[in-house]
Amino acid sequence: MWRRCLSAGCRRFGLKGIWGSHAVRRCSAPALPAGRITALQAGDLWRSHFVENGVTEPDHSTHYIIAYLLGAKTIESLEQGKLTELLSREKTEQMWQLCTKRLSRMPVQYVIEEWDFRDLTLKMRSPVFIPRPETEELVELVLRDLEETGVGADEQRTCLEVGCGSGAISLSLLNSLPQLKAIAVDQSQAAVDLTRENASRLGLQDRLQVYHIDVMKDAETFLSLCSSVSALVSNPPYLFSEDMMTLDPEISRFEDHAALDGGKDGLRVIRQILTLAPQILSSPGRVYLEVDPRHPTLIRRWVEANVEEMHYVETQQDITGRPRFCILQKEKSNKDHKLDLD
Amino acid sequence: MSRLLPLSSCVYSVSSRLLWRGSPSCSPLLTPSSSGLLCVWTAGKKDLIDLPALNEDELEEQFVRGSGPGGQATNKTSNCVVLKHIPSGIVVKCHQTRSVDTNRKRARDIMREKLDVLHKGEDSEILVKKKESELRKQEKRRKANHNLERKRLFKEAQAADSKPGNDAV
Repeated sequence: MWRRCLSAGCRRFGLKGIWGSHAVRRCSAPALPAGRITALQAGDLWRSHFVENGVTEPDHSTHYIIAYLLGAKTIESLEQGKLTELLSREKTEQMWQLCTKRLSRMPVQYVIEEWDFRDLTLKMRSPVFIPRPETEELVELVLRDLEETGVGADEQRTCLEVGCGSGAISLSLLNSLPQLKAIAVDQSQAAVDLTRENASRLGLQDRLQVYHIDVMKDAETFLSLCSSVSALVSNPPYLFSEDMMTLDPEISRFEDHAALDGGKDGLRVIRQILTLAPQILSSPGRVYLEVDPRHPTLIRRWVEANVEEMHYVETQQDITGRPRFCILQKEKSNKDHKLDLD
Repeated sequence: MSRLLPLSSCVYSVSSRLLWRGSPSCSPLLTPSSSGLLCVWTAGKKDLIDLPALNEDELEEQFVRGSGPGGQATNKTSNCVVLKHIPSGIVVKCHQTRSVDTNRKRARDIMREKLDVLHKGEDSEILVKKKESELRKQEKRRKANHNLERKRLFKEAQAADSKPGNDAV
């Protein structure tokens, strides 16, 4: 029913052959079938092709692409029988386009240009950082605290996000708390643009302000944005520089390295955020950070020694049981104490 | 049979380890213990309020953990959730969305429905709702047929009464 392509020979040449040892292996797609095929058949074909070419998660990749093609989020949520219906020519071509992109190790999220984060579907675009599943838990932690303070419905609270990427965290918070306002910053213009786009798509643009600011280089501008936020949230770049070299091609080739690299100990941006936090937070406002599992102890020690106004509250685990989230609180200063006594 | 057909299982990559995460103190009781942790997770469905609350101590959740630090260093797209209720042995798998968090919440909603059926049988929420829905449909059909019949009789009466020259209705 379909012609097997000649690209099976692609791997025989090896990397040192024609293209030299540092070249990226270029694998071509199987030929488009002559007749019509079903989604299932297309999926089987591409799954095998992914496996042959060392593409990671061959099953998941194929499933998500097919589901997207047929208007669903996951293959499990597709109507029975849709998989065995013959695809139109247009859909077949689209399948081939999408899978060819995946063949180049493009992350599925960039291939289908969207992904889910909690109850939102967000647009994705390279090289803006793709939200990770762990980060959904970070939002839960912030919500838990903001909902608990039991403030009246008319009280205006603002949260601030450093390094918003696609806008996942801020938009998720805004979506869950109708009374909340948010400010989001990112050093990448692409991220700022994407966050604004997602905000519009979700109808949340009126409660979100997005700024193109690098907190490392332009602390002053950052501090001028707001002086009393209830919460400062961030999933800052926290990878150790040496770990940048062992990343999967999906990440190293397609995602912004500046969204990942936290310097030698992974704490470069985190330290800056914690240094600036007391000036941005109201008292008692909190900082919520996603970090590397090796960080919580280091952060606690560093804050105790360097940031008088912030005190370490707790470490929370992610869904895989790794220490992943640090929560810190702005202390009441001595000046505040005096005012209380008067 | 195609390998692509998901059946009811999720596919995990060979290199990752499966991690079962459960409370260290698993109660063997069938009914939620009042001393245990009662946690109600809903995905926003209001009519699930009548379902039994879940005791997180009695649940075990399966995650694909993978090696290495996770987080930003990885971009795995496997987010199927498998939830096991230890006392009854009921297992729920959920991969309805691409969000782990949402799948976890929905898995718990489904678990509550299944536990409800287990405990109450005929009287469980799902079955009661199904019956109500059926009754409503039957009532609708009956009314529709009744109205059609009345219209038919009316028209027949009309035809019998009408004479040429009369005003049409």
